[in-house]
Amino acid sequence: MSLLATNIPEIQLENVEMRYRAEAAEVLALHQVSLDIAKGEFVSLLGPSGCGKTTLLRLMADLIAPTGGNIVVAGKSAKEARLAQKYGIVFQSPVLYDWRKVKHNITLPLELMGVKKSIREERALELLDLVGLQSFADKYPWQLSGGMQQRVAIARALSMEPEILLMDEPFSALDEFTRERLNEELLSVWSKVQNTIVFVTHSIPESIFLSDRVFVLSPHPGRLSAVVEIPLPRPRTAEMRNSPEFFELIASIRDSFEGV
Amino acid sequence: MKGGSIFVRGRLLPLFVWIFGLLLIWEGTSWMLLHVVETPLAQSKLPYVHEVLSTLWKYSGTLLKEGAATFGNAGVGFLIGAVAGASLAVLMSLSKTIEQLTFPYAIASQMIPILGLAPIIYGIVRDEQTSRIIISGYITFFPVALNMLRGLRSVDPSALELMHSYAAKPWAVYWKLRFPAALPGLFGGLKIAAPLAVTGAILVELMGAQHGIGVIMLRNLYYGSSHTYMFWSTVIVGALLGIVSYWLISLIERLVAPWQPEFRPKGGSR
Repeated sequence: MSLLATNIPEIQLENVEMRYRAEAAEVLALHQVSLDIAKGEFVSLLGPSGCGKTTLLRLMADLIAPTGGNIVVAGKSAKEARLAQKYGIVFQSPVLYDWRKVKHNITLPLELMGVKKSIREERALELLDLVGLQSFADKYPWQLSGGMQQRVAIARALSMEPEILLMDEPFSALDEFTRERLNEELLSVWSKVQNTIVFVTHSIPESIFLSDRVFVLSPHPGRLSAVVEIPLPRPRTAEMRNSPEFFELIASIRDSFEGV
Repeated sequence: MKGGSIFVRGRLLPLFVWIFGLLLIWEGTSWMLLHVVETPLAQSKLPYVHEVLSTLWKYSGTLLKEGAATFGNAGVGFLIGAVAGASLAVLMSLSKTIEQLTFPYAIASQMIPILGLAPIIYGIVRDEQTSRIIISGYITFFPVALNMLRGLRSVDPSALELMHSYAAKPWAVYWKLRFPAALPGLFGGLKIAAPLAVTGAILVELMGAQHGIGVIMLRNLYYGSSHTYMFWSTVIVGALLGIVSYWLISLIERLVAPWQPEFRPKGGSR
């Protein structure tokens, strides 16, 4: 566990179940998922397509409601937590608004909260600095590369200093080199803001490199099949990806898939 | 810059050659009809370009004054129709019930031929200015409502979820997301509607008004072959009014929503 993580549970799921109606048949997307995520912890939800990892994230975010079970976020329901603006979300695509400059995309959540303009502008510059895009404040989103756009999305998600950052395969559309660099940047940002991060991915190395714990999900029906602790020390460095420990962790997570 | 001027010349030169060539063919055909084929009323069928242009110049004051009357009323009607259309689109986007209640009537209203509706409206209000405004507004209303509604609905679901995750109020979702996202659709509708609104206003004038480009168009048509050049001039002015209205809306679009992909510099998709 990282030094940042505490024992106070931030997100608790109890027997969460999600059923969809697809045409005539009913699909069980998630079956009896129970898990705890501690405050300040970095966890990944890892699994193949169709395992329900994105569904699980969307349930935590109160973008959808579960058909069974209970979700508690910081002592409240997921909906109360959302209304209290405890979440920052980063989607698979950057979802930037074309008509807003980069800095105004970043300050959108602050505008919605009614923060004063002078404070917003100041905060935008801080955040651009944090994600290394100082010189792009006045550009439009389409003038940036895919990796830069996703960094803007992360800055936006951090703008209102959310207690919980939910990330849904944020780097999956990027090339391997950009993805690895952004993984390192994300960890350095996290070490400064120290919030709880739930990170959805289908990449085993990515989940290991980033997380304190990896929740492994398997499909048909989507369920939690293993929880793997990542004992790698922090701060994590690029070299760790080549350590024997790292490869052992990859192998053990692979095994947990084979077992299902 | 040198590269730029070559680019401009490369685009404008073919255009000038085209227009000049077309006018030359027109002039030639007109001469053929008059002197070679010796068609009766040859100038009514295809008048000399230079005669039409000189009439256009000679009566430019009158044409401009009457054109302005048409354009002014069409503009007022267009504005009213656009506001009404956009407002209905907002209401329809807010409620399925309102959409189901109003949309069939909006479509049905477009089935009434303007040619039939114009005299009815004129017969009721008995005022040419008001009639022109009503017909122009009526024509504008539908394409604006339809395209605006489409724009409001075209919002990316993730963009909406983003708003939802920040617990944004409904008005904020409209003001900061749906309206800006609907601007390309709105302008698409406005660009279709603007020339139609002008045509609609001219149509009303044919029903017996005192002022407007349609009025002198009709008079010169009735006076017969002696007024051919003037008649053609009014047709050209009518067309120009439509083009100007389209061009005006395009200009406003560039100022209001310059972020659209079609306005980006080449290679700006990065």
